[in-house]
Amino acid sequence: MHSRRNFLKTSSLVSLAPLLPTVLGKTAVAAKAASDEQVLVVIQLDGGNDGINTVVPFGDDAYGRSRKKLRLKAKDLHKLNDHVGLHQQMKAAKELFDDGRLSIIQGVGYPNPDRSHFASMKTWQTARLDTADHTGNGWLGSALDAQMAAASKPNQSANANAIFVGDRETPAALWGRHSSTIGLSKAADLQLDASEETRSAQPTGPGADDLQQFVRQQIVTAHNAAEEFAKQSADKSTDVTYPNSGLGNQLKLTAQLLRSGNPARVYYTVQSGYDTHSDQQFTHARLLSEFSRSMKSFLDDLKAAGLADRVVLMAFSEFGRRVAENDSAGTDHGTAGPVFLAGEPVRGGLMGATPDLSDLVDGDLKSNLDFRRLYAGLLRDWLKVPPARICGGDFEPLNLFA
Amino acid sequence: MDHWAPYQPNDDAPWNVQRIVHLHRRAAFAATWSEVQRDLEEGPASAIERLLDGHRRLELADDFTRMAESIGDAAMASNSPIRLRAWWFYRMVKSPDPLGERLTLLWHNHFATSNRKVNNLIWMREQNEIFRAGCRGSFGELLSSVLKHPAMLTWLDADANRKGHPNENMARELLELFTLGIGNYTETDVLNSARALTGWSIKDDKFAHRDSRHDACEMTVLGKTQKMNGDDLLRLTLKHPATAKRIAWRLCDHFMGERVCGHEAIHELADEIAKNEFDLSHAVATILRSQLFFSAENLRSRISGPAEHTVATLRALELTTPSPSTLLLADWSSRMGQDLFYPPNVGGWTGGRGWLGSRAVIAKTNFGTALATGKLWRSRNIDKIETDLTAMLERNSVNPSQQSRTEWLATLLWGSVEDRAVSSVIDAAKEAKHPLARIVELLLAQPEHMLG
Repeated sequence: MHSRRNFLKTSSLVSLAPLLPTVLGKTAVAAKAASDEQVLVVIQLDGGNDGINTVVPFGDDAYGRSRKKLRLKAKDLHKLNDHVGLHQQMKAAKELFDDGRLSIIQGVGYPNPDRSHFASMKTWQTARLDTADHTGNGWLGSALDAQMAAASKPNQSANANAIFVGDRETPAALWGRHSSTIGLSKAADLQLDASEETRSAQPTGPGADDLQQFVRQQIVTAHNAAEEFAKQSADKSTDVTYPNSGLGNQLKLTAQLLRSGNPARVYYTVQSGYDTHSDQQFTHARLLSEFSRSMKSFLDDLKAAGLADRVVLMAFSEFGRRVAENDSAGTDHGTAGPVFLAGEPVRGGLMGATPDLSDLVDGDLKSNLDFRRLYAGLLRDWLKVPPARICGGDFEPLNLFA
Repeated sequence: MDHWAPYQPNDDAPWNVQRIVHLHRRAAFAATWSEVQRDLEEGPASAIERLLDGHRRLELADDFTRMAESIGDAAMASNSPIRLRAWWFYRMVKSPDPLGERLTLLWHNHFATSNRKVNNLIWMREQNEIFRAGCRGSFGELLSSVLKHPAMLTWLDADANRKGHPNENMARELLELFTLGIGNYTETDVLNSARALTGWSIKDDKFAHRDSRHDACEMTVLGKTQKMNGDDLLRLTLKHPATAKRIAWRLCDHFMGERVCGHEAIHELADEIAKNEFDLSHAVATILRSQLFFSAENLRSRISGPAEHTVATLRALELTTPSPSTLLLADWSSRMGQDLFYPPNVGGWTGGRGWLGSRAVIAKTNFGTALATGKLWRSRNIDKIETDLTAMLERNSVNPSQQSRTEWLATLLWGSVEDRAVSSVIDAAKEAKHPLARIVELLLAQPEHMLG
């Protein structure tokens, strides 16, 4: 009964829409009401981020010994304590850290690490160590499946549960048995090209039956969403500037989607280029700068939009890199690395023990922390689904939230 | 067969333009006005049989077959998924057997397999041809050919399923999605079905049974205890009454409107399917010839899927010569939510109301604008579309008044004049520089056009 009443209210307003565009805009609020649940945004740092030159253990004597050409000077770093500091290009991340909006979880990995990009990425995406299990569904797709199953009534929404922002294939992390993901690379997919006349000649009055009513409601909702989205895009009043780069634009689009009331619970995007086998210094600095500034713009943007309490961002890479640099001023595939968790709701600060650069296995860092404990914390406390099935076992959830 | 009694035109359900448009929207990709007139004259039996017999006409259409082949081969050579999709759109737009293409869509959804994991366009195309060739045969044969093909074997990890290390993926989807449906089997049935399927593998791009990996012990599946291989398992699932029911549901889901087929109608159709040894031709014919199919409640009660929506709109408006860019059609279908050869998951597209998420509505509306402004073609523009539409209306002797043209176009697209939509369209197109293109753009954005 409730939804019918809402609809009639909406449609009677819409009948006046050609004359009253602002009224039409306001009805979008009704469409937004259902989408006030927690959202997870994931950034995949693709290629294997050199965690050691990201969260730099300048206080570890072994650091200078293993990094001759690539050593970052302690005085340039953004120090987090007297032992570790962020790369000099990560000023924005340091500000978030100081503000309590960034947790850095150190030394995250898994037992018997695989140094293949593909296998290790699949491990992270499926939360399964055995490559034989890598063809299954992803941890986020399964989480969304669990949310759908737990919902008291079946999902009536015609909208996707997850959005992949990017133009490559949807990552395995988002594959689910029932949940659905759309890929979105361009804002154009959410913009109406139709002539002014077509936009205003939209349905008036209730439909003759339930189905027709549904169709009309969906059209009204979509047009409102497009209008809201266009307004967001055109809106200059937001002071937030994003880096004009791939990741910057992807996060900007994500923020627009969130502001326009899109009901997806998971957003996923990729920053590529971390496979720095040679002449790493400049590339890595550029990537970390882009990452850290984009992340800060995104969080500031959400804060200004009043969405900061609803959204948490996680950034991970499939592995870190070897402790010792190679002969080409680069680094080769390694093991454990830091994971970033950002947003108003997170605890903030450094978590997990700093990896010891002298305590290595075959020249690689030991992982202090299984990534599935991190997932378990996110699943239990943020996406609100039982973690064990998704993680393939009982992992003690990390306490990630304030 | 109370529910599926043959259709006889009567006062409640006369044979008229609306029912002909309905038939072609559901079982083909819409009809042109001259096809509507032909069917009106010849009557329902002839109209339905022509669709059912489409494959015979396909056999004679050498030009079409040759052209489709060469487009398909070029897609393989370029190893480009978008070109494989374009190949299928070419078939949908031009095939003399539209019902065959609709059924291919249906089985692509039932046996939803995605190239994102299969990663082999040759296999994806072969699977598509299996659907096309098998859509009028027996379901049992279709099931077996689809499952024992590298695309599905890869998609559902058949190779990882070995004696002593069962992988349940294929077994579970076989029981849950392809045959019985959820609730008709136990977890033990899944596990033992996986054991029965051990040994299924791929060798030299073909199905192969590796005896050494097969679990040759006795096992119990669905109450039967015996030594069992994959073929035995498929036979067993076909005997289970739930399978006929699931196939009946699948067909009704594709051809019938929302909530038109109740539990009893599905049950009755399932009985008919089981009695006729899963002959899919017979099942489809039973539906299309039925009173229920032509009943008033079944008209305009289904949200059309992206691929059919795209192709049907162009075909009804006679805008297929020169052919629109099939690459673009495939892209529009993706934007509406149907990325052919890349279904969202093993369950396929949910369809129905799921086709009208915000992004899909925006895409459908924008598609109408792209069509009306000539953007679906490499070298057309709104002037040319206006000319084409004017010529098409003249060919069909439509009275040139704005009112008559709009009503006629609405009838062509939807089968009936919807007064509200028509008057709002006429109103909004009054000042347009290209009145026909504008009317069409407006009609394609109406809620009425989302239904079929």
